[in-house]
Amino acid sequence: MNDYGSGTQAVVLVLFSTLVTLTLLMCVMAGPDRDDLTNFYTGYRSLTPLRNGLAIAGDYISAATVLSTTGIIALAGYDGYVLAVSTALSLVLLMFLLAEPLRNAGSFTMGDVLARNMSGRSVRVASCVVTLAATLPFLVVQLSGAGSLLTFILGLSHETGARTACIALVGSLMIIYAAIGGMRGTALVQMIKIVLLLGTSVTVAALVLNRFDWNPGEMLRAAERGSGTGPAFLQQGLQLGTSAAQRLDFASLQMTVILGAACLPHITMRLYSARDVPAVRRSMSWAVGTVTTFCLTVIIMGTGAAALVGSQSITAADAHGRTSVLMLSRALGGGAGSVGTTVLYAAVAGTVFITLLSSVAGMTLAAASSLAHDLFAHALRRERAAPRTEMTVAAWTSVVVGTVAILLSVLVENWDVAVLTTLAICIGASAVAPALTYSLFWRGFTRTGLLAALYGGTACALVLMVFSRAVSGTPSAVFPHADFAWFPLQSTGLVSIPFGYLAGWLGSRLDHRRRTAESRENRRLYEESEARLLAAAE
Amino acid sequence: MTDPYDNRYPPAASPDRTQPRTEPHGSAPRRAPYGRDPWQEPYGQQLPQDTSYGSYPYDGAPSYDAFGQAPQRPPHTREAHPHGADLAGLRSAYKVLRRVSTLTALGSFVVYVALSCGAPDLMGSKIAGELSLGMALGILQLLVTFAAVFWYGRSARHSVDPLARAVRERTVRPGRDAGVAG
Repeated sequence: MNDYGSGTQAVVLVLFSTLVTLTLLMCVMAGPDRDDLTNFYTGYRSLTPLRNGLAIAGDYISAATVLSTTGIIALAGYDGYVLAVSTALSLVLLMFLLAEPLRNAGSFTMGDVLARNMSGRSVRVASCVVTLAATLPFLVVQLSGAGSLLTFILGLSHETGARTACIALVGSLMIIYAAIGGMRGTALVQMIKIVLLLGTSVTVAALVLNRFDWNPGEMLRAAERGSGTGPAFLQQGLQLGTSAAQRLDFASLQMTVILGAACLPHITMRLYSARDVPAVRRSMSWAVGTVTTFCLTVIIMGTGAAALVGSQSITAADAHGRTSVLMLSRALGGGAGSVGTTVLYAAVAGTVFITLLSSVAGMTLAAASSLAHDLFAHALRRERAAPRTEMTVAAWTSVVVGTVAILLSVLVENWDVAVLTTLAICIGASAVAPALTYSLFWRGFTRTGLLAALYGGTACALVLMVFSRAVSGTPSAVFPHADFAWFPLQSTGLVSIPFGYLAGWLGSRLDHRRRTAESRENRRLYEESEARLLAAAE
Repeated sequence: MTDPYDNRYPPAASPDRTQPRTEPHGSAPRRAPYGRDPWQEPYGQQLPQDTSYGSYPYDGAPSYDAFGQAPQRPPHTREAHPHGADLAGLRSAYKVLRRVSTLTALGSFVVYVALSCGAPDLMGSKIAGELSLGMALGILQLLVTFAAVFWYGRSARHSVDPLARAVRERTVRPGRDAGVAG
C-alpha cells in the first residue's frame, strides 16, 4: 500500500512492541488486589486531580475522535471545525452540569447512580443494557477500524487475513489491559496515551504552522486549494450538504455530540474515582483544558492535511479521511526515506496505536464493570456476591465482552461502519443523558420514568438509525445498494433526544397517578439523599 | 434539567416517616419539604434566581457569604434538621451556578450552530484575510473555554464549597468519628 522504506516500518514495529511491553508491565504492576472491589473499580481514589484529569481526557479522546475528526476537517473544513468545538464543549457541559453530583451519587457504575433511590433489579438490568448498547458499537467501530489502520501503518497488503489478524491482536491486548489492570491500570495507560497524544499533536501542529511561516491565512488559502473546493471549504455544508434538510441534519448531529459524547458510561465512570468534589472539579478542569488544547491542534492538523496532502490523496486512502493524520506526518517530514519522516511518522503511528489500544480497553472495562456489578452482583446475586467473586466475574466479563467485540468487528470489517460512532453518541444523548439529568435533578423521577427514558431513548435511537440515510439509500451508507430508509437524516438526535426526555417525564407522570405511594417514597428518598448528592455528607 | 415539578406534591402529612439522620426527632417538628420551609425563605430570596443569565454577576459571590453563617439560623431547627437551611442554601447556590454555566456554554454553542446553518453567508464572510467569521467564532469558543472553566472553579469555591462544608460538618455530630464526613 504505502511505498516508504522498510526502515520506517522496522522503526514503527519496534516502537509498537516497546509501547505494548511498557504499558502491559505498568498494567500488571498497577493491577488491583484480588479481593478489593474499590481498588478494582476506582483504584482506591488515589489519583491526584491532575492524573485523574489526564485519565478522563484520555478516555474521552478516543481513536475515533483523533482520526475521524481530523479526517472530517481535512475533507469538509468548516463542518469539521464545528465538530471539534462541540467535542470540546461536551466535556465542558459534563463538568458544569453533571460531574459533581455524579461523583457524590455514584460509586462504581452508572447503575449505582440510577438505582440509588430505586430498588429492584429492573433498574440495574436497564442500566447494564444501555451501557452495553452505548459502548459496544463504539468498541466495534474502533476495533474494525484498527484492522484497516494497522495494515495501513505497517504497510501490509490489504487482505482480509491481515486485517483480521490485526483486529485479533488489538482485541487481545485490550482484554488483557481491562481484565488485569482494572481502573487503575487503564488509568495509567490513558495517562501515557494522552501525554503522548498531546505531545505529538502539538508538535505536528507546530510543524504545520511552521511550514506556512506561522501565517494562518496562508495555511487556509493552501487548504482551500488542496481541498479542491475553493471558498466552500471555509463554509458550512461540505460534510452533509447545503439544502435546508441537510443543514438541519448537521445541526442535529452537533447537538447530539454536545449532549451525548461526554455522557457515555466509560467517561462518567472515571468521575467516581475522584476523592471528593473539589478534586473532581480540578480533575475536570485538567481534562477540559487538555481536550480543548487537543481540539485546537486537531483543527490545525486537519487544515494542514487538506493543505499539504490534498483531499484527492486522502480520499484515495480512506473515504472518511481517517488516515489523514498519518499522511500529514509523512508529508511534513523531509520526504520519503529521510530521518525526519521516519521519526515523525513513527511517533504519530505509535500515538495512534496506543490511542486505539487504550480507548478500546477503557470501553471494554466500562462494559465489563456494568455486567459484573449491575447484572451479576446486584441483579442476579442481589448484592450477596463476595467481593472476590465479583472481581473474578469482572475479569471474565472483560474477556467475554472483548471476544464478542472482536467477533463482531471481524464480521463487519469489510463494511463501512463509521455510522456506529454516531449510534453510540445518539444513545448517549437520548438515553443516558435524560436518565442521568432526571435522576440527579428531579425529585419526582420514578422507576417507570427511568426505564422509559433508558429503554425508550435507546430503542428510538436504534430504530431511527437503522432506517436512516446513514445505513441505506445513499452511496456513502453502510448498505449503498439497498434502500429501506424512511428517516431522512443521518443522525437521530433531533427526534430521539426529545423522545428520551419525554419518555422519562411521561413514565414518571404515569407513576404519580398509578402508584402514588411508591412515587412519594421515591421523592422522600431523593430528599433524604440530597445532602449526600450535593455535599457528599454521609 | 432542573426541577420544574418540584412542588407537585403537597407536603403529605405522614408523621410516621423515619428520619435516620436526626437524633431526637420524636418530638421535633418534621422537616418540611424543600422550598416550603419557612426558615429557608429569607435565604432563598437573597438569590437573584432567574433574572440575570448571560452576565457573570456571581464572580465575587459576596451574596453567598451569608449562607455560610450558620449561627444566624434559629437555634431550634438545628436539633431537628441536621442540615435544613444550609442544605436549602446549598441547593440554590448549586442551581444558580449550574444554570448560569450550563446555559452559557450550551447557549453560545446553539447560537453558533444556528448561525452556521441559518446564515452561512454571514458566517462565511471574511473578517481578516482568509479567516471567516464562523471559524473565528469557533476558535474563540475554544479559547473562552479555558476562561470559563477557571471562572467556574472560582465561583464554585466561593459559592458552593463553604455551604457544602457546613452541611457536612452538621452531619458529623459530637461523639462520632469525624471521618464519616468525607
